[in-house]
Amino acid sequence: MSRPGFVLDVDERTPPLIMHQGESFRLERLPLGSKVIYPPDSLPGIRDVDAEIRHALLHPHGTEPLPELLRSGMRLTIVFDDLSLPLPQMQTPDVRQRIIEQVLEMAAAKGVDDVELIAANALHRRMTPAELRRTVGDRVFHAFFPEHLKNHDAEDHDNLLHMGKTRHGEDVEINRRAAESDLIVYVNITLTAMSGGAKSVSVGLASYRSLKHHHNVHTLRHSNSFNDPPNSAMHHSYERMKGLIDEHVKVFTIETTLNNDTFPSSMGFLNKREWEWNVRDQASYLAVKRANEMLPQKTRRRIWQSTAAPYGVTGVHAGLQSEVHPLTLQNVHRQQLTEVNGQSDIAIWGLPYICPYNVNSVMNPILVMSLGLGYFFNLYKNRPIVRQGGVAIFYHPVPNEFHPVHHPSYIDFFEEILTESTDPVLLETKYEEQFATDPWYIQLYRNSYAYHGVHPFYMWYWGAHAMQHLGDVIFVGGNRKTTTRMGFRAASTLADALEMAKDTVGSSPSISYQHAPPLALADVR
Amino acid sequence: MRRKTSIRGELRLLRHGRDWRGRSTVPRSAEPHVVEPEERVFPTAWARTPFAVAARSVLRKGLLKPVAWKQITPVIEGSEYLDGVRGPVVFVANHSSHLDTPLILGSLPERFANRVAVGAASDYFFDVRWRATLTAVFFNAFPVERYGSKRLRSLALDLVDDGWSLLLYPEGTRSEDGWMNPFKLGAAVLCVTKGIPCVPIAIRGSYAAMPRGRNWPQPGKPRVTVRYGRPLIPEEGEEVRAFRARMAKAVAALAAEEDLGWYDALRAAADDRLEIPGGSQPTRPGAVRDENATGEKPADWRRVWASTEPLTGRRRRVWRD
Repeated sequence: MSRPGFVLDVDERTPPLIMHQGESFRLERLPLGSKVIYPPDSLPGIRDVDAEIRHALLHPHGTEPLPELLRSGMRLTIVFDDLSLPLPQMQTPDVRQRIIEQVLEMAAAKGVDDVELIAANALHRRMTPAELRRTVGDRVFHAFFPEHLKNHDAEDHDNLLHMGKTRHGEDVEINRRAAESDLIVYVNITLTAMSGGAKSVSVGLASYRSLKHHHNVHTLRHSNSFNDPPNSAMHHSYERMKGLIDEHVKVFTIETTLNNDTFPSSMGFLNKREWEWNVRDQASYLAVKRANEMLPQKTRRRIWQSTAAPYGVTGVHAGLQSEVHPLTLQNVHRQQLTEVNGQSDIAIWGLPYICPYNVNSVMNPILVMSLGLGYFFNLYKNRPIVRQGGVAIFYHPVPNEFHPVHHPSYIDFFEEILTESTDPVLLETKYEEQFATDPWYIQLYRNSYAYHGVHPFYMWYWGAHAMQHLGDVIFVGGNRKTTTRMGFRAASTLADALEMAKDTVGSSPSISYQHAPPLALADVR
Repeated sequence: MRRKTSIRGELRLLRHGRDWRGRSTVPRSAEPHVVEPEERVFPTAWARTPFAVAARSVLRKGLLKPVAWKQITPVIEGSEYLDGVRGPVVFVANHSSHLDTPLILGSLPERFANRVAVGAASDYFFDVRWRATLTAVFFNAFPVERYGSKRLRSLALDLVDDGWSLLLYPEGTRSEDGWMNPFKLGAAVLCVTKGIPCVPIAIRGSYAAMPRGRNWPQPGKPRVTVRYGRPLIPEEGEEVRAFRARMAKAVAALAAEEDLGWYDALRAAADDRLEIPGGSQPTRPGAVRDENATGEKPADWRRVWASTEPLTGRRRRVWRD
């Protein structure tokens, strides 16, 4: 059995602890008495994943077995999570490929001809053919691409269907093909408690018209946290939309969960607790770190981006979304949840090189902000690990670089909008509409590989709750220009950062470090 | 803003808190939770088998007693009170030296010496196997839990049921300075619940002969006296605390006999003039209450000084010239 997560008290016997720092990592000696939140050890993966998938499809929760839902002449749409999941990408074969292949085998046996595969990328950039191929596998790719294996296009208004409004007046508009299918099979990977469930169809296949009802400052400030669905206004909105969708179309959901094996064995030390490092781990730490520092930036990025995680699959559940998702969440919690006693004055996070929006791309300052104040800050249940008015310290170089193809609107957002204000509400009311409807951004989103024009706003809103909650945000090793532009501060060392935090939290603050890698979800009591 | 760290600095950080094999100490809060194994009581039943009894008898008579009697000058009084007593009984004595047990066992009549089990501190005598074995072989000792922390079920009741007499030191431990500490309730409870007699014993001079910290008696064959008193039998309905008080008084009177003589000690006990162990202060064995005493605890050195005064064996004269 894997060991459960726990909170470490840093004492004089604690070796320096590892943390991410962008496309690098480092050891850091935390002040004595700091608390470090470790997730449970990586759970053992399922040995025969194919058999597990088959079992899930044949014994679904709350609905008939999948073969009974399939019939000749039906319209079947298979929708799958796009490349924002999992992070980093998993070693091939991707679990989505395994599932889609089995679904297609069953569909073929039942004589289903009208099959369409759609990547649920919402306003994310389109997946390239190579990325699609990596996700669904060669067989599926060759059989369906490009006519029947597509990215969702949220700006193709002919192919969107407005289903109506929820009782809260939220527009529900999703991909027409999916909405008019006899059956949607949704293939999901739930990496954090935020994903999956009602989010899958109502967000992944939606348009801006629909997304703006939950991707806004008000909702996100009331999603405390968005990794705790019962306390997340955003998830309540998803649920309402999902309710409406269910009235129109039947959705058969297949959700999978992964363990915490985030790095290949050559970087096994990243998956281990520091005091358990053997000589080999220490040697590979030193070697990898030195090599990483010596590499030219381009090569370094390519290597990091091509790192694939040897994830084990910890659960496959299929059936009715409302019955499947609780089981999925249980699995996620089993892998990530650690109980934490009380909040602290300062929270520390080491930010990695990857977030959902820079796979095979560049992590720009806006994405660093969204990763830190959005994703990592929100890895909690009940209460944030840092108290109201406390200080967040992140480790990331926050380089001033953007991917011109993937993130064109981010560049304008950073250079033109953030210079004016960093207040999410002001940005939302004043500029969101303009970016969302800009024809050039729409053109790039539809025909190039650009994120939608409104996406940098969403990233900014993602951190709105944290910005409201925190007294100060400091980036250790951060670029001064970029951090200042975003309204944060940069420090060269942890000691400096703690010194800077003194103004906000006094001279003897309590400190928590949410250890990453791997991911931990703090259940703060 | 990426700054290359020096390889030396990196190594120093990596080596921090690790030994030459690269192994780190485990932070206290990360140490695995170990379920304390249930305290195993050292088995002593084998030490009460006929063969062990016979072996112990040989050891006692051939080794323990001759060696002890060679190193000190023992004076045994009152063992005749045991003549009519039928076991099992509980012997209670004041305790200030490791000499006490060999002295008592060596001076007991043979029929008792072979049927007596000695209560020994489980945390001291039974902590390691070799010590536990030796203690059990020589003294027929059984473990007694002094601090009640591990909730061992005491063997004492079973031993009494099996007809074994017990030798207990109700103070619970050897005295620090030769003075007597309050008696614990255990011995009295045993006597009252089982309705068995208690034989009080007072030992004087053993502290001077071999105090705490010494493992061999002082040179010069110091005089040590062991006095047995008349058995005390719990009366019908007698309270445990009352019986304990009686027990303490009897031991104090026997101790006083060394200084006052038999009759005066009896008189002092009858007049309630003896210092009886039981208050918050330790009492000097055989002390008579001083009306002018301040009630304050005498300085440490004075207590040790009084305890190490050599016993002369000179009796106070009863009949005046």
